[in-house]
This record gives sequence, C-alpha cells and structure tokens, in this order.
Amino acid sequence: MSRPNYGWLQGTTVRKSGITSSSSNATRSSTPQVQSTSSTVYGGGVKDPSGRTAEYFSMDDQCPVCRSDRYLNPKLRLLVSSCYHKMCESCIDRLFTLGPAPCPICQKVLRKLAFSPQTFEDLGVEKEVAVRRRLAKEFNKRREDFDDLRSYNDYLEEVEDIAFNLINNINVQETEARVATYKAANAALTALNLQREEAYALALKEQEELDRKEREARAAQLAHEQQLEREEKEREQREIIDKLETSQKDARQVVAKSRANAAKRLAAVSGSGKPSGLAAVGFGFGADYAKLLKTRTTGKKASNSVPDEPHIPLQDEWYAYDDLFVFKDGYDDVVSEAVRKDREGIMRAGGYMVEEAWQRALRSAVAGLDISPLEGLTERGVPEPTGPVDSGTDVVMVSV
Amino acid sequence: MQDPSPPPIKKPLYEGSTQFKNWRYSHSRLAQIRSTLNEAAVSVIRTTFEAYEPGSSANVTFLTADEESLLVTFYATMITQICGRFRFPEEVEATAVSYLKRFYLKNTVMDWHPKNVMLTAVFLATKTTNNPISLEVYTSHIPKASASDVLDLEFLIAQSLGFEFAVWHAHRALWGIWLDLQSLPDTTSNSEATRSPVYTSAVSHVRSSRLTDAELVYTPSQVALAALSMADRDLALKWLKSKQDKLRSDADHSPNIMESIDNITNLIRKHGHAPDVEAVREVDRRLKLCKNPEKVVGTKAYLARQAEEDKKAEDRRIRKADVQKEATTDGDPFGEVLARSKPGLVDYDDDDDD
Repeated sequence: MSRPNYGWLQGTTVRKSGITSSSSNATRSSTPQVQSTSSTVYGGGVKDPSGRTAEYFSMDDQCPVCRSDRYLNPKLRLLVSSCYHKMCESCIDRLFTLGPAPCPICQKVLRKLAFSPQTFEDLGVEKEVAVRRRLAKEFNKRREDFDDLRSYNDYLEEVEDIAFNLINNINVQETEARVATYKAANAALTALNLQREEAYALALKEQEELDRKEREARAAQLAHEQQLEREEKEREQREIIDKLETSQKDARQVVAKSRANAAKRLAAVSGSGKPSGLAAVGFGFGADYAKLLKTRTTGKKASNSVPDEPHIPLQDEWYAYDDLFVFKDGYDDVVSEAVRKDREGIMRAGGYMVEEAWQRALRSAVAGLDISPLEGLTERGVPEPTGPVDSGTDVVMVSV
Repeated sequence: MQDPSPPPIKKPLYEGSTQFKNWRYSHSRLAQIRSTLNEAAVSVIRTTFEAYEPGSSANVTFLTADEESLLVTFYATMITQICGRFRFPEEVEATAVSYLKRFYLKNTVMDWHPKNVMLTAVFLATKTTNNPISLEVYTSHIPKASASDVLDLEFLIAQSLGFEFAVWHAHRALWGIWLDLQSLPDTTSNSEATRSPVYTSAVSHVRSSRLTDAELVYTPSQVALAALSMADRDLALKWLKSKQDKLRSDADHSPNIMESIDNITNLIRKHGHAPDVEAVREVDRRLKLCKNPEKVVGTKAYLARQAEEDKKAEDRRIRKADVQKEATTDGDPFGEVLARSKPGLVDYDDDDDD
C-alpha cells in the first residue's frame, strides 16, 4: 500500500506565514473579496450554515500553470479542479473554453464546469470533505437498522474504509465498485433513511415555527392586556374626577374607595385571566412536540437494557447506634480542650468540628458492645479457615 | 445463641467494618494460625538450608510460635517509643500496632524481621490516619534506617493487610465512654479533677491492651470498657447498666458482656506488659541463625533466588517484547481481525425489512 501523498495536492500554495505578512496585507486578506474575471458561475465549494461559500484566499497565491501571482495580478482567483489541482481563472478560460481538455498537471480530462472555489487552505481537507459529503448521502444507515452493535460497528468500519480509500486514491476502481454494489443493494433503505432525515429536518423546522408563533401569540396577548389596563386606568381617573365634581363627599374618601376597587379588579385579572390563555397556547404546542420526539426515539426494536444502578455508599442504610447514647450539647472534655480553646480557629481550619469527633467517639464507645467473641465457634467463625495461610500473599514457604 | 446478626434490615456500622469481618478471631484460632504458620515456615526454611548446604539445618533451633509472638510484642512496644519521639497522635501508634499484629498473622518473623516491618508499619499508619510525614524526615530521625528500608516493605505490608487500613480503636471508644459518663444522672456532680486520674489509668490500660491479642478477639468498645473497669469497676458497671436495657432485649446477652470484660481484664493483667528484654535478646540471637536464607542479603540462597527472579523477569520482558514486535510487524496495528467473519457489504440488505 502506498503512502498517501499530499504534496501535489497542495499545489504551490505556500503556507501563509502569518508573522511575515505585513499588517496591510492582513487587513486586506481579512476582508471578503471575490474577484472574478470570468462570467462563469462555479458551483461546488463547501458551504457554511448560512449557505454561502467562504472562499480561501491568500496573499501568496500563485497559479501553478501560468506562474502569475497576486503581486502581478491582484485579481487572481484560484479554482480547484475535480482532480484537486489549482489554477487561475484565466488559465481555465484559456485551456477549457474549447471543450474538455487534459489537466496540465495530471493529464486527467477536465471540463470548465468541473472547477470549484477553494474553501480550505489544505486541499487534502477539501477533498476529504467532498468525499465524505458524497458518501454520507449513500451510507446513511442508522443504529436502529442493525440487530446488534457489532454489525453496526462493522458497517461503520466499512464506510470508513471506503472513505479512506477514496480520499487517498487507493484502489479507486475497486472501491467505487463497492460503493455501487452497496448502492444497488440498499437503494430502498437509503431512500427511506433519506426520507427520515428530511422528515426530521421538517419536524425541527415546524417546531421552530411553532415556537415562533407561540412567542408572537404571547407578545400579542401581553400587548392586548396592557392596552386594556391602560384604558381601565384612564376610565377610573375620569370617574374620580367626575365624582369629585358631582358628589358632596369628602375628596379623600372618594379617591380611597376607587383605589380599592381598582386593586380588586387587578387581583382578579392576574389571578384568573392571564395564565389560562397562555397555558392553553403553550400546552398545545408542547404536547405536539413531545409526541414527535417520542415517535422518533422509540425505535422498532425494544431495547432490552438492564438498569445498572450504581452503588452509592452514602445512601446505605446503617444502624449507627443512635439509640444507645444521648448526645449532649457540650462536654467537659480534656482531650479536645486544645481544639476548643484555639481562638484563631487554626486547628478547626479544615472544617474540624469537635461535635463530630465527640459523636464518633460516642458511637465507637457503644459499637459492638454486645458482640460475643468467637471463642469455641471456629467452624462458624468469620475468618476463612484457609485464609491466613493461602491468601497470605507472600507466605512463600507455604506455597512451596 | 450468640449470633451477632443485626436487628431488622439496618446493619450496625461496626459489623460492616473489615475489622469485624476479616480480623476477628478466637483465641484458639489465633493459636492455630500461629502454629501452622510457624510449622510451614520452619519446614520451608529447613528445605532451603538443606538445598544449599546439606546437613546444615541439623543444629539450628528454629523459633516456636510463642517466641515469634514474643518478638512481635517486643517490637510493638518499640512502636510506642518511636511514636513518642515523633509526637504522633495516639491513633497512629494504635494503628501501627494493629498493622504489625495483623501482618504477623499472615507472615512469619523468620522471613521478615519485625524491626523493619515495625518501621514501615508506623510510616504506613501515619499516612492512613491522615498524619503524613515526609519519608526523609521520618528516616532521618531513626538511627540506621534508610528510605528504601521503609519503602521496600510497604507494599508487602499493605498486601498482607488486604489493603484494609481502617482500624477501630479502643482508645477512641474509651474517650466516648468517658464523654458518655457525663450523661449519667448522678455522676455529673463529680468534678473533672476527681475523675481525671481514673481516665488516665484507664488510658494506660488501653495502651497495655495493645500488647495483647485483645483487639483481635474482642470489640474495641469491650476493650475500652474493660480498661475502665480496671481503673474504676463501679463506674464501668454503672455505665454498662445504663446501656444494658437499651442494648438488644434478649436477657442472655448481658452476662456475656461482663464475662468478656472479665476475660479482657485477665488478658491485660497477664500479657499487657513489655516482654522481658533478656528473653527477647535470646530469641533475637537465635533468629539470626534461623532466618530464611533466601531473605538474607549476601547468602548463597539469596543470590540464587535473586538470579531466579531476574531470569523470570527477563523472560517476561522478552515475551512482552516479542508480543509487541509481532503486533507491529504483523501489518495491522489495530490487532488481528475479529474472530467473527465480517459480513460483506452485500449482506446488509438483511436489514432491509424493517
């Protein structure tokens, strides 16, 4: 097997030495520039999530065919052929306008439309991404499609083998044949999985849409409520003024009464009206989504996994002799005197609490008080009869 | 019935400890372990002697099991001295003594001299009880001890202990009893000063209990109570009485506790003192002659053993290198093809019918 050789893939793109490039260059290269002398629209390239292609661009670019570089031609734009060789747009125009022609570097027959913009500095990466994209379309089986993990892993390894071969040009013919065989054999499943993917993407999109609608509904309702409130307030104020004008009552009493009324109304609104509307909206969407998730996660085959509960020693139920002693708040104790009298708390720095030490001592004072010794009970005894002799790890003389 | 099985569902904390599960013996069991260990050791060492110098074992008197434990007890007292010199807390000392005793239930003095084991046991105990000290400081304060002396045995000891480092101590139980005495209704009137000598003497009894097998047979609280009863029997009885009705309801347990405590008291009175230095010296002198020659640096047996081990290690190394070489030259760096034959691509349409 030959070692993959990337040397030719990299063309003459000398790696950008960031330190040596001048600051003016750096600012220029950071601004997105797409310079095209040709009217041809080139497809391909790796798109970012927003659907745009970020083209790779370097100040050291040089066309390996005509040797023109960015210094001579600031509008130089290098494109990548399907055999992963770079050349400038003018060379492409010159060589391939009259129809298919051999690549000047590897002699593979190329067409003008087979060129695509470069996304990654390293053409090896460019190629790998392209190959993997292509394979992902065909090899889209999932874990659920296999009976056990073993066969799934075998499948993944197979896919990885194929990808590796294609990327590094190892047995290309044979590998392509394998891909074709697979494609023929699994057309139905592939299509199905494709549909599933699309359905999932669609569901996600729907969910996003629902979320957005919910947010909008909530905002509208909030605005509506605020509007109502404002109107109410204005009406109240008008009422107060009317009353003050017409009635003979004390002004302060009138104001207080209407205030109380307003407070009552507000409480009624916040207590009942607001949540019910929103809850109904949110609930409807939430339930829908939950159902969707559920249908996705429950596979065809019921998982027969055994719950593996870890043992947490802190949750063990131990009898700690608590009924055998009464813990007092303080003790007349010589042993711990130094710790308790330590004013700066240096001895208690690590979180030492004399109460805990006392408690431990009290526990051990009553622990096992009623355990009888093993005298005369050797058969039932806890130590294994052979233990001390056989399991002694270094009792060499016994084992000889 | 003396079944210490726990009351409903909840298991008492002490019965979950490794000390209860793996380091609890009866007196007769202890004696049996020690004698079988001693016999096995003697026979192995005798064959080793014979293998290198036929007839040389005829006039060697090997140590008996009792002599072995005498030596261990003596070095347990040395632990007290060392810990006193470093001002380690009592917990370190008690833990180290426990380690020493437990170690010699699985190994023999004739293989590993307690002088070295003791040093490592103390160092290990400082770490397991969270009182760490640097190895340099530790060895620099002990005459004729090097860092490797301490470290060489560390794993061996940890292994012999079964990596069970937590020990429940009698001195802590004694402290607890002493605190709990203040909950008794009629003793609260006593001032601290009048009780202090009682506590001091009880602590000293706990310390001497470390030289006996008490901790391997009885629970720490029983040992502590026995120590207290040696200092002030009435006080101990009063405390026990206050607990007794709360302990398990079966009445037949109560005499057992008192009996155990009397047994411990006798044990401490009888064995709880440092062994006679002259006797120890005599045993130690004989130990020099009957040590396992494979473990004594410089002897023929040691060299032979060393060579054998080197050879084994070399073999292992070669084998490992071979395996590695095979793996690299075999082409596929990810190992052999998996045992099951891989299904070809075409086989995948089995899954088509979902």
